[in-house]
Amino acid sequence: MTPRLKRIWRRTMKSGKSLRSRDLGSSRAGEQRSVRPENIVWIFGTGRSGSTWLGSMMEGLDGYAMWNEPLVGNLFGNFYYFRAGDRIGKAGKHFILGERYKEMWLGPMRDLVLGGAAARFPEVTWSGYLVIKEPNGSIGSPLLMEALPESRMIFLIRDPRDVVASSMDARSGGSWLKERRDDQKRRVEPEKNPNAYARMRANSYVEQIEKTRQAYRAHGGRKVMVRYEDLRADTLKTMKRIYSALEIPVDEAELARSVEKNSWENIPEEEKGEGKFHRKAKPGGWREDLTPEQVEIVERVAGSLLRELYPVRSTA
Amino acid sequence: MPVLRYRKVLEVLRGAKAFLNLEAGVTHGTVSEPTRTDPDGRSAGGIAPENMIWIFGTGRTGSTWLAAMMEEPEGHKVWFEPRVGTVFDPQRFQRHGGKHFILASQYKDVWLRSIRNFILDGANARFPELAGGYLAVKEPGGSVGAGLIMEALPESGMVLLIRDPRDVVASWLDATRKGGWQTRRRGEDGRRAESLAETNPNAFVRRHADAYLHHVGSARRAYDAHRGRKVVVRYEDLRADTLRTMKRMYGELAVPVDEARLVQAVEKHSWENIPQEEKGQGKFYRKATPQAWREDLTRHQVKTVERITAPLLEEFYPTGPAEQEG
Repeated sequence: MTPRLKRIWRRTMKSGKSLRSRDLGSSRAGEQRSVRPENIVWIFGTGRSGSTWLGSMMEGLDGYAMWNEPLVGNLFGNFYYFRAGDRIGKAGKHFILGERYKEMWLGPMRDLVLGGAAARFPEVTWSGYLVIKEPNGSIGSPLLMEALPESRMIFLIRDPRDVVASSMDARSGGSWLKERRDDQKRRVEPEKNPNAYARMRANSYVEQIEKTRQAYRAHGGRKVMVRYEDLRADTLKTMKRIYSALEIPVDEAELARSVEKNSWENIPEEEKGEGKFHRKAKPGGWREDLTPEQVEIVERVAGSLLRELYPVRSTA
Repeated sequence: MPVLRYRKVLEVLRGAKAFLNLEAGVTHGTVSEPTRTDPDGRSAGGIAPENMIWIFGTGRTGSTWLAAMMEEPEGHKVWFEPRVGTVFDPQRFQRHGGKHFILASQYKDVWLRSIRNFILDGANARFPELAGGYLAVKEPGGSVGAGLIMEALPESGMVLLIRDPRDVVASWLDATRKGGWQTRRRGEDGRRAESLAETNPNAFVRRHADAYLHHVGSARRAYDAHRGRKVVVRYEDLRADTLRTMKRMYGELAVPVDEARLVQAVEKHSWENIPQEEKGQGKFYRKATPQAWREDLTRHQVKTVERITAPLLEEFYPTGPAEQEG
């Protein structure tokens, strides 16, 4: 072994032990955990990309539960990467999320997730699975996957133009999200300044997807990348591919039933349409929804991701 | 051998290691275990939570000076602005409700334990030599999370450090003007050095008065809620009679200190012992003169600060607004 390899080896062993050994430590502390870290399936990406639909299909299977947006990724990621970005490493010894002590704070982060999961989902057995739908916490996905390296990961993506179009609709007057968050002060309203909103949403798309991609690349465990468009085109086939890549055994007939139950066609007509949570579910719908200027804004902001993930350029 | 192949080998070995740790419970004893809490919520080694003293308030209230003096006694250390309170700032998550949110109130006992471990593990990693000693945590910038921190560590002591908000705002104004120490530091960090203090000082004053109310108000509420040892320290009292105020503080916190050592600490960190060239306008050590705001702020700015911080000003500086003071 070369000295360099020895150093890597020691670091790897140290990291693996101290994080995983927290389970033993926590058991000593009397925590009763029902969810195994390796049976946690994270869904990261961005909002309005079909994560609720995907999560519901997975939750529909026997032995599964879904944790709907704990926002733990947002809690840590937003602070670590943005609000305190310039402090990382620089503050050295003292800053609570300092690089030198990452090993120490990843442990409590892991405890926070596992403890929270056990408290909320006591019904999930040792052999059961917990799907954590966390698109809006994707900013912290690299930290979470580092804290829970045994967990499985789904990187869910959707064309940013459709994501922006869907978000604009969701935040317009009378829509489901606008009503839910009417008390919030938002700096940019899509109705007052649609182009500024498109730019802001495209920027948050890039932030979230880039962080998810970073986590996906670094994650040494089981993982799969899923395009919303593939899920729409052939849901059952894509779901089977997900389970296969994640190495989770699944009963095909049960999966088919869950896919059917959660299909677009089975959503009542009155729950679908403009301003509703279930809007169009139509890949490429942005061509009807966005102005050419807005398309250009999104393509400019999310250009490199678009070229990588959706190589056919806009014709708007 | 290419690095990629090493990585593959390591991944396989890591998997085997994980299997051993999880399935067989093998430990090697080569890495220090993180601090755990026993079933009663007490620390099972390392720094005792009851030996932690949190300093909350806001910036520019003399917390660096106070912390420097607190670091002098044997077996005492200072954790300098960990910002843990900012990570768990409740205001960031006001709109998130429901049982799914990670900090949902229904599961507070679960996540408070994680916050406690988060802090204790961090403290022990940074100050492994301090077992049995005292750790002062200087955290004025994290005061927004003071409530949760003190709830997670109810055995810890708390110092609510207060200074006249008009002097605090005047001090920030000086620090962030062109050439001020804060402006220079921001420039060195590659951040935007241009300051609102230059372009719109009245707006700057308003913003910092708001921040004072937010930070000190949060710390004040945490102080009220904290059932453990606690003390209010006014910067003005520290300046007027440092030794006496320090003795009172340690007395309230029930922390034993050697008086001769304390006298030395007070003397060492006195204003008079700071080199002349390190003091003055635009410097970190500026005036240390209570009520200097009378020279530093305009009448309009004074009124702005008094209006915004009125609840705290009335409580801690009850002589009334500037006009009444003559």
